[in-house]
Amino acid sequence: MDEELTDGYHEPCPQCLSVDWGVSDAGQFFCRFCHNVIERVLLYEDAELLSTSSRVSSLSRASIKKRRELHRNWIVIEGFQFVLLHQAEALVSMGVCSQFKDDILYNFWKRYLQATNQAYTRAPLCYGEVEAVSDFTSESECPSELSFQSEPSLRGRRKRTASGSSGSVVSSGSMDGSSYSKRKSGDFMTMPRTLALCYLALLWVREGITLSDLLRFASEKHLPYINVHEYFPEEMTVFGRDCQYFKVESIPSYSHVHKDILKLARIMKLPAFPPVTPDCLLHPSLLSLRYLVELNLPDELHHWLCKVIKQANMAEQALLTFDYSKRPIGTSHFSYDLQACALIIVTMKLLFRLDDSKEWKLSKIADFADPDAKQYSLAFWHTTMHKALVLARKREKLHTANQQWKSSKPFILSERNKSVFLKRRRVVEYLQTRFQKLSGQAVETEPTKPSSFIFLWGDGEDSDGPSLHCQKLDCNLKKRRQTQLCANKKYWHPLLRPCNPT
Amino acid sequence: MQPGGSVDSVPLDADVSTGVEETASNEKGGSVNGPEIRSTCNMDDIEAEFHCHVVDENNEDYYNKPDPIRCKRYNAQMPKESGFRRSTSTCLELIRNAMLRHRWQEAAELMSSYMQMLEDTSVSKQLMACEIIWRLGTEILQHHPNAKQEDFDMFYQSIKNVRVNNYLKISLDHSFHLMLTGHMEDACRQLSNAQNWRYGNLSSVQLNLKKVIHAYCGYLQYLIWYSKKSKASGAENDSGSDHEMHSYFRQASVTLQEVLEQPGVWDPFVLSYVEMLEFYNDLEKAESVLKNYAYNERFPVNPNAYVYLYEFLKRHDAPQNKQLEILKILQTLVPSHELMLEYCNILLGTGLHDDLRKALTVVMDLLEYTSWKQNVDAWEHLNEIMEHLGNGHCLGEWESRKNLWLSLHFTSYHARKDAILSVKLVDVKIKFLTPLIKNYQEYTTAAYRVKKRKGKNGSQGYKASANTGKKKK
Repeated sequence: MDEELTDGYHEPCPQCLSVDWGVSDAGQFFCRFCHNVIERVLLYEDAELLSTSSRVSSLSRASIKKRRELHRNWIVIEGFQFVLLHQAEALVSMGVCSQFKDDILYNFWKRYLQATNQAYTRAPLCYGEVEAVSDFTSESECPSELSFQSEPSLRGRRKRTASGSSGSVVSSGSMDGSSYSKRKSGDFMTMPRTLALCYLALLWVREGITLSDLLRFASEKHLPYINVHEYFPEEMTVFGRDCQYFKVESIPSYSHVHKDILKLARIMKLPAFPPVTPDCLLHPSLLSLRYLVELNLPDELHHWLCKVIKQANMAEQALLTFDYSKRPIGTSHFSYDLQACALIIVTMKLLFRLDDSKEWKLSKIADFADPDAKQYSLAFWHTTMHKALVLARKREKLHTANQQWKSSKPFILSERNKSVFLKRRRVVEYLQTRFQKLSGQAVETEPTKPSSFIFLWGDGEDSDGPSLHCQKLDCNLKKRRQTQLCANKKYWHPLLRPCNPT
Repeated sequence: MQPGGSVDSVPLDADVSTGVEETASNEKGGSVNGPEIRSTCNMDDIEAEFHCHVVDENNEDYYNKPDPIRCKRYNAQMPKESGFRRSTSTCLELIRNAMLRHRWQEAAELMSSYMQMLEDTSVSKQLMACEIIWRLGTEILQHHPNAKQEDFDMFYQSIKNVRVNNYLKISLDHSFHLMLTGHMEDACRQLSNAQNWRYGNLSSVQLNLKKVIHAYCGYLQYLIWYSKKSKASGAENDSGSDHEMHSYFRQASVTLQEVLEQPGVWDPFVLSYVEMLEFYNDLEKAESVLKNYAYNERFPVNPNAYVYLYEFLKRHDAPQNKQLEILKILQTLVPSHELMLEYCNILLGTGLHDDLRKALTVVMDLLEYTSWKQNVDAWEHLNEIMEHLGNGHCLGEWESRKNLWLSLHFTSYHARKDAILSVKLVDVKIKFLTPLIKNYQEYTTAAYRVKKRKGKNGSQGYKASANTGKKKK
């Protein structure tokens, strides 16, 4: 009786923050947990209205109908589809071309579904009596232009039969939540794999976003990853077993996602990717230029870097282009960002030897040179870089500490604990607002804009230090005949012969 | 005890044996050394408990070393930690640093980010989180410049209901806080709410806590009574406030009576009850309470009980034999108690021979303690007893203690120390020693030398004399 009477009232109790109201004989509302009586009183008219049986029954029927309308049956793959959709939209808003979302990612997704027999086949491996999958109401395209076998999407009331257990126990919001993970392992979709799929699509479109950038965007919440279920529409309730698919407690590591990329490429049997040409941002010369700017190294270094690329044959198309079927045996890793970084390090070693004595000698020469000549000194670079790095690490630590992993829509693992989880969430939010008020912090701080660069070099107030991009490397070079050579003659590796300067 | 227990302070981990341990110092309403409550987490060992890496930011290596969490490939022994756990442990580390450096604003901001730990799915971590947030949160609120009383109240109310095991402890903490900020009635109300609370089966820890809560309820009622009493005595007679005062007395006496029936160490509670009873002139009741507290075998042995009883009897001019009885028991318990000299005085007063011998043993026992070694009064008492008893009787006692006393009191080192401290002491000691031992030069000559030096050099005497004393030897 009490639930009906207090049905409309969902305010948390001021003392204990739980929502568990009852109505006393006098008509007063009291909290069943802490017995706190509040001022709200059940009006006589309401009670009278509700006491007649017809009203009561219509009330309950209306509420159930409303709840049923809000709920709809969905399967886990649909959830992942939403995730990918939102991730793609975020990337597009960051500046990626829209082709990425509408054509490439979408097609990759369909290819994946077909390859793993989850959709677009005559006999999809879904559970129960669901015939076809993929609700495309939020994506406007229909699958006509592809040469895949497809079934027209059917949407209607599907019978809800839980696999195995009786129909009364609801273990997940989706229809195949408990059985999705029982597929052949290696085929099913996980949250890290959404990132992998996004990266593959980005690679196809040859955008300049590397895998480490993608992971950074996910951690900074520019890319929806951490609490994606907040983006789901209201009708799709994430509950019980679904949580294991959509709940993330950490950003996956680079190697983990890299492995997923290779796995997906294998599953989807992807053809050779579009070649990485020198004008593409992922080409070692351009990517390393980006890193040189980031590291505050002089632009002249790029000239030497290109020489190294040429000598090491790293600019060959075959090596740069991603082709799963033709990958060289023995190399399982394929990362543009790591390659670019390696190139920079090798170039620096060739120029400065970096054996903890030669580079300081060279910097001393540069330091004593005429300041107008703007000579690059490694010692000076080291001090400025070190300062900026220390501050950046502190910022990062603060960011890690303040990162919020739990969302305002808590993951509910079972019906029994639902009230507990909701109550805890309320307590947490309440305490957070109180402490924030205490410190006078603005409740919503301005989110930072996503950027490829972490450091800002220049003369402005926000900069991390003076810019060294325009400095010259003359002190490190010697003129012999018409060409310039490195001042450092020896290779740093003790076992290798001294390299002949060319 | 500060409510909430500060990070670097004391006792939240002591054992609760039969009841509640309390120290004897108790001013009315002033500094109350509260009971030491057993807690599930040892706050003193915060690093071990919370798995903080103690990171020294001043150490340069910290920044030059590769970050261990990042280098998963190179350091396979690093345990895999989820991003959520890493966030919360970093947050806790930063909170700890901010608190130790008294940066309360920063600590409050970080604390609001730390709240997500309450939603951790692992039960043990969530339990720990509740405890951490409670203790650190109260500490931050106490020191934060913008914190008001209502912030405290809201905080306590919310955190109380997060997990049921902590409810009683946090209620007690809340009421201590209210008590120390002067809101006695609110504190009393909190405690009575806590008393009526019940959830499932009560564990033994919770039963103990309930006893404590009950006791403090009574104590708070006493404190309110006391404040009303002082107000009433100052202002004119107002029957309304008097009536309130009496009602609080009744409540307090009922509660305290129940509490004092249970075995335990209840020093401040006993004193408060006795004071109230004395005010209402119910001396028999007071005496019976004190006697029960001192003599009941179920209660743990507590010298303070005898002290209280003795002082009560003294205040109300009880016959001397009663006082002597109690002091006798006290002497067996604590031979170095400050009341021992009084005991001696009483014994000397009676003049009976047996009593004098008893007094001799009492004083000699007393002087064997370091705290009494250089006490002039004690030595004077000893001399007086010796005079009354005569040498013959004292010699027996002296023979048994001679070896100990010569090395304990009468070496040249002691001579120098005593002379520096007070000349009178030296004289008294020499007066004691001369009839007992002939030709014992060590002490007397050394003392004499020092005195001479002191006399010669005046105020600069002792430093020089200490040196020369050594040299001459």
